Amino acid sequence: MEKLIQAIYGGIVYGSIFGMMALGLTLIWGALRMLNLAHGSLYLVGTYIAWALVTLLKVPMVPALLIAALGTAVVGFGMQTLFLNRILGKPGWDVGSLIVGVGVGMALDQSILLIFGPRVKQMPPLIPGVYKIGRVVINYNFLVVVAVAVISLVLLSLFLSKSRYGLAIQAVSQQPDAAQLMGIPTRTVFLIVMCISAALAGLAGALLSTVYQVQRESGANAMLMALVVTIFGGLGSVKGTIWAAYLIGLLQSFLMVYLGAGTALPGVFLFMMIMLVIRPSGLFGLGEAQRL
Amino acid sequence: MIQEESVSRQSVAARIDERLKLSAVPWSRLSVVPVVIALLVSLALPWATDLLPFGKFVLHLLILFFLWGIVVQGWNLIMGVSGIFSFAQVALFAVGAWTSGVITQQLGWSPFVAMWFGPVAATFVAVILGLPTLRLRGAYVVLLTLGFQELFRNFTTQGPNFVAGGGYGLRYVPKFPFEEWVGGDKAQFLYYYLALVFFVIASFAIWRIFYSPIGMAFRALRDSEVYAISRGVNPFRYKLFLFGFVAFFTGWAGAFYVHWYGAISPAIMLFGTTINLLAMIVIGGWGSFWGPIAGCAVLTVLPEIMRAVEQYRILLLGIVLALVAIFAPEGLFPLLLRWVRRLLGRQA
Repeated sequence: MEKLIQAIYGGIVYGSIFGMMALGLTLIWGALRMLNLAHGSLYLVGTYIAWALVTLLKVPMVPALLIAALGTAVVGFGMQTLFLNRILGKPGWDVGSLIVGVGVGMALDQSILLIFGPRVKQMPPLIPGVYKIGRVVINYNFLVVVAVAVISLVLLSLFLSKSRYGLAIQAVSQQPDAAQLMGIPTRTVFLIVMCISAALAGLAGALLSTVYQVQRESGANAMLMALVVTIFGGLGSVKGTIWAAYLIGLLQSFLMVYLGAGTALPGVFLFMMIMLVIRPSGLFGLGEAQRL
Repeated sequence: MIQEESVSRQSVAARIDERLKLSAVPWSRLSVVPVVIALLVSLALPWATDLLPFGKFVLHLLILFFLWGIVVQGWNLIMGVSGIFSFAQVALFAVGAWTSGVITQQLGWSPFVAMWFGPVAATFVAVILGLPTLRLRGAYVVLLTLGFQELFRNFTTQGPNFVAGGGYGLRYVPKFPFEEWVGGDKAQFLYYYLALVFFVIASFAIWRIFYSPIGMAFRALRDSEVYAISRGVNPFRYKLFLFGFVAFFTGWAGAFYVHWYGAISPAIMLFGTTINLLAMIVIGGWGSFWGPIAGCAVLTVLPEIMRAVEQYRILLLGIVLALVAIFAPEGLFPLLLRWVRRLLGRQA
């Protein structure tokens, strides 16, 4: 029973975090048809901004999180305007955007290394303290992380389904050409999508820095899991991504609790591969040929 | 390019004839003199480096160039020519290295025998990986191959002790017995020649594919899959063949690497190596034959020159990578070639 509670609890925590990371990826894929391999680096940017604000400048937690998200959004804005806008809509976008992502990610990672140095850092928790159910330890910090993640996911889906710009983003993801003909400023929409996606990655990075240690490798790991979730949910599908995030989170958590921590990653990937063979377009994905 | 222009003036029949001839007798494309000169130069090179004060180091770089040259050419064939976004090439390299290394360590076989099991294992793994992967496209392939690399890295750090070596990877792998044959200093020469032989064979095989009807089929698949299929190209079968074919040479390079260094660490499968190789392809020339080789040469030598500012080099490389993708999508080498041709007054 305790194990079960622990597994479910862990699954919800992981799921919320994966969801934030993956939603950014899926939004970009939906609108821009770009697999953003710089996403992990954006996550790192968020982590380090939050760390610097909290430990070096003694800024309180909540503004620090917001500033981290904003700062990452600015980086995303720069990436879009400086690099991606120049090849947007030209032939070779698939390859070009992939490589721009890799290059920008590399430059960001290395800048972080140059500025902050290679040492692993520690971030204080958002709220200290634990709550115990039997032998299961529930960390208040984790609960806050989950709450923030869920709130931002809900706000985002409201934004996407209700607001003018949210609808514009959806229209552009479904039919970029038609959307443009209807008078939607696609370039602005792309820019907004990139900023939102980067802000989400930054917020996820800032939040997770209170859970894990602050180190450079965490960006790549987070991105890998986000990729798994995105593809599992069906690239470009927001609903599918959120479902997939919690499913994969639960799967990972159950594997960790019942079979040991080492089995989690291989297990998730194995599941992923089987899934892709059976249902190549993910949970809620459209047909493959339509999307690529 | 020049060739195509002159061809366009001829009749269609003559063009088809030419293409048939080229694919039947591909070496007619290469003129004998430059090839012989290149071979003679590369044969004499170790002796030339011996005269330099830092000759050993140059030789070391040359061997590295040959090794990564094989991997990069294969990857270019997969990624640049046929448009499969595989990010598992370093993992296949590592599969070759680990297989050969473990066989020599655990069974005590000679590296010369074990060396052949590396590529075979890499091919086998590539085909297994390709079965689910190559039916998918684009982003899915990126994920599955990245995932495979991560899984294999995980296995080599946390797997059984004879594989992981307690997290350090393989250490004290038997090297090729060159030192016993010719003594310390000249052993590196033999490594060089072996690497050269590998490189020439792999390059020739890849060049052969590159300019064959199969190569044309791959380009068709990359540029318009629907059209290629309607012309009778079975995408899955072709891609699977290519995946296994390239994995063979990649694994070969891996096997050589492990018996040359005598060790290999799982850290080789971190994203950095992959990005470095990708940079070689992109900067050299995506999808061209000579581009990746040129890119490999530049990016093997450059890090050594810029050792003092290593961290800024990676930063710079990232930015250059992004800029090349934007301003020179075909790569720097074809661009350079065109400039040279224009300077020489020939039409390009």
